Formats: sequence, structure tokens, C-alpha cells
Amino acid sequence: MEEVIVTIALWFGFYTIVSLSLNLEYGFAGIPNFGRALAVLMGGVAVGGIFNRILIYAFGVSGDIITASAQIRSMTNDLIASNPVYGVGLLLLCLALAAILGAVTGALFILPSAKLSEDYLAITLLAISEVAFMVCNYNTAIIGGYYGVSTPDVLAFVPGEERMVAFTVVTLLIAFLVYVIVRRLTNSPFGRLLRAMRENESVVEATGKSVMVLRIKTAAIGSALASLAGALYSLYSVNVIATSFSRVEWTFYPFLMLLLGGAGNNRGVVVGTFTFVIVKILLTIYKHEIRTFLHLPFEAVWLEYILFGLLMYFVLLYRPEGLIKERPIFTAPIKKVVAKIRA
Amino acid sequence: MKVLETQNLSKFFDGLKALNRVNIGVEKGSITLVIGPNGSGKTTFINTVSGFYRADEGKVFFEGRDITNKPPYEISKLGIVRTFQIPQPLKKMTVLENLLIAPDGYGESVLNTITGKWMNEEEEIVEKAFKILEFLKIDHLWDSEAQNLSGGQLKLLEVARAMMKDAKLIIMDEPIAGVNPVLSHDMLDRFVELKKMGISFLIVEHRLDIVLKYSDHIYVMANGSVIAEGKEEDILNNPRVVEVYLGASDSEVECGV
Ligand SMILES: Nc1ncnc2c1ncn2[C@@H]1O[C@H](COP(=O)(O)OP(=O)(O)OP(=O)(O)O)[C@@H](O)[C@H]1O
Ligand SMILES: [Mg+2]
Repeated sequence: MEEVIVTIALWFGFYTIVSLSLNLEYGFAGIPNFGRALAVLMGGVAVGGIFNRILIYAFGVSGDIITASAQIRSMTNDLIASNPVYGVGLLLLCLALAAILGAVTGALFILPSAKLSEDYLAITLLAISEVAFMVCNYNTAIIGGYYGVSTPDVLAFVPGEERMVAFTVVTLLIAFLVYVIVRRLTNSPFGRLLRAMRENESVVEATGKSVMVLRIKTAAIGSALASLAGALYSLYSVNVIATSFSRVEWTFYPFLMLLLGGAGNNRGVVVGTFTFVIVKILLTIYKHEIRTFLHLPFEAVWLEYILFGLLMYFVLLYRPEGLIKERPIFTAPIKKVVAKIRA
Repeated sequence: MKVLETQNLSKFFDGLKALNRVNIGVEKGSITLVIGPNGSGKTTFINTVSGFYRADEGKVFFEGRDITNKPPYEISKLGIVRTFQIPQPLKKMTVLENLLIAPDGYGESVLNTITGKWMNEEEEIVEKAFKILEFLKIDHLWDSEAQNLSGGQLKLLEVARAMMKDAKLIIMDEPIAGVNPVLSHDMLDRFVELKKMGISFLIVEHRLDIVLKYSDHIYVMANGSVIAEGKEEDILNNPRVVEVYLGASDSEVECGV
């Protein structure tokens, strides 16, 4: 039971980061980012590809990335186990690398939006994301392709049985931080401009703001945040393999959580994410029981896809505003002035 | 001195000369009016000047500097604000928020957002927005979503947003269409006040009964060209102008048959 709760909490942490990043980009700014998985994958690349190479260089290990990363893992784990400061330091380094790589990728990735209308942009972003996925999967030089690479256990100083709980706490902490950042960004004149851009780009341009620049900023921030989730997930798994960054897990599901919770409402998105994760984890853990109980004529794994596909369908059809509807945002100065006028 | 000046400005749509070598100038601190029958190219002129349409020929100068075919946001940053003939509300945002996005550069900085520096400015901007809403008598709607406004109220929202920005040149496309005459006169009186402070206006309007007496200079357009310009009396006595307006109603009659 405890393990179930920890698993739910851990995935709630990963997914909260990703769905909030998507809320910033899609819920507020209206950018149809069907390539969310790319930014998450960049988190994996930052850890598995860049961070590993820094360590390989620092330790002077030779060989290809796949074997060298395994060697590095055992060397760094010993260090981290002897001194937690190394572990925390390396964790922060990984997050910083992921944020930078995510931001750069996000900024470049959104450039086609200068020439494309919404529908074509969505398809283009999906395609770019898929291409990056394929390249990382088939080119073994980046993050080991289909063999994957190892990564150090940044929490190697925590006893084995408590590691998962500790990692969950770290992930939830970062997720909370991401919530605070996204909230701060959206409950502000910047967030107001993003919603304005979603509603009507011409008006934003007519008031002297470049829609393209706003989009680049948004995609850079959103991708940097989503990339944190990819890095955390990689560090948690202590290895990186491209196949775990699929578009179903990191684009389709986050969209579902966002739409279920309520696009443009951060609290709603968190609620949507929580609901989704509970259902998903319970489905995964009890899939055999469910299959026997319901006398399903197919593997219960399929149930997940069918169920979430249907859920998306019904949300879009019957509750497009989500569980918690988007609300007007009244900033502190607005409230203050209104109070003064009423007084 | 002219703040705005176009030289042979032309815009073609598949062979239709929506603007045909148009020369229009706006004197600094004046209210310049552009009139003309439906489809004469007035809105196209505004769209081309403000960067929303690409000019096919000719040039646009603002304060002596060539701004032809610059993107709309750059033109706006230089100090030109425009309204839209068909109101463009930010539908799911409040009336107040529709105004708050207008000030120059406001909300663009991510750094100011993270540090919370914007809070210092916001109060002043909100107060200014409320004053404008009050003046246009839509302050009671401040927290309604713009999608709930009536056509006339949306028109006022367009004007309000333009007044929010401290522009040097304010271009308005039919600002008083659907607005009651009393408020229309109030609005134009306010424009006269602003004009005395050196702000220039380019106004496109059909309701000549109200707007003519406020204007310093008038251009008349027909079929994409300027056919007359001058003061109120020059225009009203110009046989070409009379013909164009009558001609337009003739063809309307023909269309009706
Ligand atoms: N985007 C466009 N594509 C094709 N034709 C256009 C476009 N915009 C305007 N036109 C055409 O250009 C001509 C001028 O239109 P415009 O809207 O500028 O007239 P107007 O003087 O503003 O008329 P109104 O008084 O009805 O607003 C019309 O024939 C119109 O159909
Ligand atoms: Mg028009």
C-alpha cells in the first residue's frame, strides 16, 4: 500500500511539472505544442548525454558512452555514498543542464510558428518531436540509442529501501517550485499578454508587442521546465533510454491531464494531473486483477489506452473547460484599486 | 509639420486597386478625417499604414522616418496606435484586462515578472484604465468578460484600449459607429483636448453629421483614390464629392433591382 502511494506521489511529481509547463504554453499562450515529449527527452539527453560526458571527461574514462557510463555510475556512486554534498551538487548540475538545453531547444523549436497557422504548427511540432525521438533511439552515440546509458544515482547516500521515498520528496519539491514559478508567470502582466496572444494576436501586435518574441520566451520557459521532469525521471531510473520518452506518455497524457483539469487554470491542471495519475497507477498495478474481474478478452494494458482515449473524447465533447474552469485573474494591485474605488 | 505622410501608397488585391497612389498627411496636433463610401479603401489604408497589410507600392513616413512595411508591433512601438473597425475584443478576458495589455512594453519582461517589479507599475496603470472606462461609461463592466459586451460597448472598448496607450498618433476606424450621439460628442471633445496636447488623430468615420465640425482637415476617398481634400466647406461644395456619394447610392439602387 505504501509503495502504491509513493508511486502515485512520484508520478504526480513528474507529471505535474510537465502538465504545468504545457499549461503555460497551451493553456495560457495558446501554442498547440504537440511536441511536448521533445523537451522531456531533452532532460534525458542533458543527463544521459551531456552530464555523463562531463563525468567521463572529468574521470578520464575511455570507451563508448554506453560502457563508459556504466563505469562512471559505479565510480560516482561510491563518491556520492561517502559524501551527500556530491549527490546534491550533481543533482543541481543535472537540473541546470536540463533547463538550459530545454530552453534552447524550445526557443529553436518554436521558430516555424512564424510561418505556420495553428493546425500546421501543431503537426510540425509533433513531427519535429518524433524525428528527435527517432534520432535518439537509433543513433547510439547520443544517449545509447536502444541500448540506453547508465546514469549515476545522485541519492546513492540514501539507504536502498528509502531511496524511492527520498526521490519522491525531491521530485515533489521541484514540482512545487515549478508550480510557484508558473503561477508567478501567469498571474502577472506577462501572463495577461500570453492570454491576449491566445485570444487575438493582432491586438497584441497592435499594442506594440511582438507575438513571435512572446512565443519564443514562452516556449523556452515551458521547455526548460518540462526538461526538468525528463532529467528527474532519468536520474530516478538511473538510466536513460529513448523509448521511455514516447509521445503517448509525455505529450498525449499531459494534454489529457491539462484538458481534464482545465486549460488556463493552474490549480485545475494540478487536480487533473492528480486524478489522471491515480487512475493510471492503479490501472497498472491492478491490471491482472481488473482483467480477471471484468473478464476482459484482451490484455489489461490495452484498457489504459482505451480508457484514456475515451476520457479525452468525453472531456473534449462534454466538458471542454475541464474540471475547474479558467477564471479571470485579479492581481493584487487590481484588487487594491477596486477596493479604493468602492471605498 | 506632418506626423504621418504617405507617398503614392498602393495596395492591390488580385488586380483590385484597393489603394491607388494615395497621398494622405496628418498634421501634428490635428484631427484629420478620412471619409468615403463603402469599399473606398479607408480600412485598407489604415491596415497598410499600421503594418497589417504589405504595401505594394509607395511609402509611409512617420515623423519623417520611413516605416513602410515594418511589422505592426514595431510601428506601434514608434507611437502609432490603431483601432479596428470590427472590434477585436480579447473575449475570455475582462474589460479591464483588455485595457491593461495596452501600455508600451508592459508585461514583456520575464525578469520583472519573476522579481515582481511589475507590481509597482500596475496600480497606476489600473487607475488610468478605470478613468478611461469611467469616461466612456463602461466602468461598471470592468470585470465582465469581453465576450458578454454589446456591439456598441465593444466599439467603446476599442477606443478605450487605444486611449490606454500613450501614442503620438491615434488612428481610429469608425470609433463612433453604434455609439450614442451624446457620448460621441464627449469622446470627440476629449480628442480635441488631447490634440491640444500635441497628439494627432486620423479618424475614419461615416457619421459626418457628428464628426465634421471636429475635424481640421478632411480627405475623401473613392475607389482606392483620394478624390478631394480640404476643410469642411471645401469638401461639401466639391462636385466630385457630391457625385461620389450620390453615385454610390445610385449603384445601391441598381443592385437592389
Ligand atoms: N483582405 C482583403 N482581401 C481582398 N480584398 C479586400 C481585402 N480587404 C479589403 N478588400 C477590398 O478592398 C476594397 C476596399 O475595402 P475597405 O475595407 O478598405 O473599404 P472601406 O473604405 O473601409 O469601406 P467601409 O466603409 O465599408 O468600411 C473593397 O473592395 C474590399 O472588398
Ligand atoms: Mg472600413
